[in-house]
Amino acid sequence: MSWSHDGAGRADSTGIEHLDGLYSYAMALSRNRAEAEDLVQETYVRAIQAMGRLRADSNMKSWLFTILRNIWFNQLRTRRNGPQMVEIEVGDDVANNIVEPSKDSYDLYVSKMEAEQVRAAIQELPVESREIILLREYEDLSYHEIATVLDCPLGTVMSRLGRARAKLRALLSETLKGSDLPSVRGTK
Amino acid sequence: MKNCGGDDGATELYLDKELSGPDLEEFRAHLEECETCREELAAAEELSRLLHRSRPLYSAPDALRDRVMQITATTAPSTGYAPPRLRKRILKILARPLQSAGRGVPRWPVLVAAILLVAALLPVPGILRQASANSYIEAAVAAHRSSLNGSLPLEIKSESPSVVTAWFTGKVPFNFRLPDVAEQVGHEQVYRLTGGRLVNYKDGYAALVSYQMQQQTISLLVASSKSAVAAGGEQVPSGRILFHYSKHADFAVITWSTHGLTYALVSSLPGSGRQSCLVCHQNMANGDHFSARQ
Repeated sequence: MSWSHDGAGRADSTGIEHLDGLYSYAMALSRNRAEAEDLVQETYVRAIQAMGRLRADSNMKSWLFTILRNIWFNQLRTRRNGPQMVEIEVGDDVANNIVEPSKDSYDLYVSKMEAEQVRAAIQELPVESREIILLREYEDLSYHEIATVLDCPLGTVMSRLGRARAKLRALLSETLKGSDLPSVRGTK
Repeated sequence: MKNCGGDDGATELYLDKELSGPDLEEFRAHLEECETCREELAAAEELSRLLHRSRPLYSAPDALRDRVMQITATTAPSTGYAPPRLRKRILKILARPLQSAGRGVPRWPVLVAAILLVAALLPVPGILRQASANSYIEAAVAAHRSSLNGSLPLEIKSESPSVVTAWFTGKVPFNFRLPDVAEQVGHEQVYRLTGGRLVNYKDGYAALVSYQMQQQTISLLVASSKSAVAAGGEQVPSGRILFHYSKHADFAVITWSTHGLTYALVSSLPGSGRQSCLVCHQNMANGDHFSARQ
């Protein structure tokens, strides 16, 4: 994604639309909500400060993800010798729905359950797999863009992505089987 | 290109649209013949669909969104600071369809709240050039202030846009229709229409429409474009409408003209930025929401 303009000369790009993506990336890296929020906030602070130096044809999305990643790994280096707290989050929404799924929201309930299983599976992956799955499957970054963010060769992107998908497919095998089944709504 | 066995990553390259030209054609031709690769691709697509269904992986908390919006509104670039960049950010948000402004009720008000916050922080580039525009803004600010201190009580009190619209019909020298915000936006209404009254403007009347959210009042002055001009301040084009942002006597004022009517939205900042934008955003996203009936 880049700074670009439509025929009316209006900008069609800004940083805020990547908030969910950046937060997801921060969660994939840190697996901790508080840390993820701090990471995203710091990313925007630095991005806005540096935006004046951003070229008009720059890829802003990759740039933002790169900033976030750099902040994260700098923080890791800084506190390498200190204690680290890792908190794997569980979706509250799903928990609520387990308690009381609406009779009219069965599909939504199933979808949320599925999303929660996906999140849980991704969080079981090693960090290099988590981040590459996030960048490719959720943010639609090209291999080239991923290579830029991760600062690695294209070949490494391909091999990491292949490994990550294979692990994820194994972790989600039951969910994938379930997704093949026709809807059971109304058959209970 | 080696196409079979999966060890060359061709299936994933194809899935990720990273193949092109002869490689793409070659792989497509191979797929026609190779059941193994078709099965591998089907499995990869199945996983991909499952992941895509769970987008976004996480949604940013509203509190974080608020903080980020404040950062984007208040943090100046260290070098090369240029108001056009802020305008671009505003335009992006203004241009965003209301339906996609958020997946939940609390999100889109935050976005639009920040619009006015950003707008309020934009420097006002000098004195307003057109006396008529200045006069209209002064009238709008005076009406808002009087509304706040109670000296201009509402003549029609209703939360119903249709009732307030009907009350104005025939009383002002133009026709207009207030939008049914909750219905049009499809979200929970986070502010409410409180009513309206007539106010003197030049040789005729203008419509003063009042909105309320929590303890904040927002005033919208509507007049015919024949007598009121939107001009000056920081100009931000959005679609076919040119918005003018300015600060006047500690109030944030946004004026614009469309369909033969000129609007002035007045609110107090920063406290009422959210409410003001909620009103304003209807017009920014869709210039027909406040539609003239001519």
